[in-house]
Amino acid sequence: MRTKSLLIGDIRFQFKYGFYFLYAVFTILYIAILYMLPGRWREQAAIIMIFTDPAAMGLFFMGAIILFEKGERVLNSIAISPVKPYEYVISKLTSIAIISTAAAVLIGLGGRVISNYIYFILGVFLGSCLFSCIGIILAVNIKTLNQFIVATIPAEIIISLPAIAWLFGFKPLWLILHPGVCVIELCQNGENAFLAMFILAFWTFFAAVYAWRKVRKSFKSLGGIKL
Amino acid sequence: MIEVNNLNFSYTKNPFIEDMNFIVQSGEIFGFLGPSGAGKSTIQKILTGLITTYKGNVKVNNIEVKRHDSSFYENIGVDFEFPSLYEKLTSRENMVFFSSLYKKRQDIDTLLESVGLLKDADKKVSDFSKGMKSRLNFIKALVHDPQLLFLDEPTAGLDPSNSRRMKDIILQQKAMGKTILLTTHNMYDATELCDHVAFIADGKLRALDTPRNLIMSRGAAKVSYTYMCNGKEVRNEALLNSIGNDNMLQKLMQENKLLSIHSSEPTLNDIFVELTGRALQ
Repeated sequence: MRTKSLLIGDIRFQFKYGFYFLYAVFTILYIAILYMLPGRWREQAAIIMIFTDPAAMGLFFMGAIILFEKGERVLNSIAISPVKPYEYVISKLTSIAIISTAAAVLIGLGGRVISNYIYFILGVFLGSCLFSCIGIILAVNIKTLNQFIVATIPAEIIISLPAIAWLFGFKPLWLILHPGVCVIELCQNGENAFLAMFILAFWTFFAAVYAWRKVRKSFKSLGGIKL
Repeated sequence: MIEVNNLNFSYTKNPFIEDMNFIVQSGEIFGFLGPSGAGKSTIQKILTGLITTYKGNVKVNNIEVKRHDSSFYENIGVDFEFPSLYEKLTSRENMVFFSSLYKKRQDIDTLLESVGLLKDADKKVSDFSKGMKSRLNFIKALVHDPQLLFLDEPTAGLDPSNSRRMKDIILQQKAMGKTILLTTHNMYDATELCDHVAFIADGKLRALDTPRNLIMSRGAAKVSYTYMCNGKEVRNEALLNSIGNDNMLQKLMQENKLLSIHSSEPTLNDIFVELTGRALQ
């Protein structure tokens, strides 16, 4: 019940702070670009767009949300409310994943790249949650947007490079253990999609637990103690 | 309502809060008075469960704070010194969101009305003045109708009329039976509002009593009076316990020639300085 209240609050917050507007602009822009591209490029372009934006934008948006909440001292009020850190994390991940998945489905439809809706939606939803977890993990210890952007660079490289390499044909089987590769495999409905689903779920769960621990620590540190 | 026994805590290896003991009775306003850095906010953080690495016993609503669960927060409200609000949401949206986090909820419009913000309910918080934000922040602590309220410098930075308004609301809450812990370095607020005040300096409890007892225990009360003599205003003082022996005062009273007369008890600040060697402000 409280998670539902948090989720409604987060969606309202994201709407008011212009996140939905940004998603809408990017989605329309990307679909327009896809229609202008030659047919043979369309699938790979659409998958890159889906991977780098609706999925990966969670990392930046989550960082921005946490920094906004820190800046407006709202985290203090949440820390002295009955909200549990895991409820806070679940709400944040779900709120971003819902809008990310909706945007990805629209781009996917625009690029005509969705061959398995279940794998596609799971790939984007879990991928978005994973990126958002990284956003939370990075943002809880950071004070300014500049520091956050610098901190995201290595995370973006580590997650994106193997995934892009996979998309363009570098496909040793061991690389399927990489979460970014799993997102691509699921969105493309590749031959290892079933395996990718479990690997991505594992990574997302692992990242969510780590994010929960960081948030719990962060709530405690509002009391001024270094843990 | 609150019981603190042998409380010790420090952020570093050096001692800070040391061997603190006090009790806050249900329905009273209890003030922590001390200069910045004295340990007031740290004690508030311990009492609200934000710091749990203390030694000793701290019971709030019969719950040992270091072992609290999330339901602990259903019955306490905290008004931080600085507003903690979503700036781009309206005041009503902020209240609706924060009240949705609790099981018990108060009517939002009634709360907004109580602090004169109902007409601004649909205005973004970023457009609010400092006083309006403080009032909204205060009622945010009341959305779940808690029995225990923690107020951190509730009148800090407010103009006299908003400060008066805030103090009236605090007294209204007390009249409704709420227990209120007030953290302040404003001796006038403490004298006016508190049933008991605790003087905190360097992490130690230096005195604890009612403001009146603290003031009267320093006795001393003097009376100062003024009168006209050869066209000039003259000021005299007499000790309250020997006022009957002051012939000049008697004469002036009989002749109705007093210009002014005041008792001059020490202020809480005077007593604080006497006890700790430091000033409150």
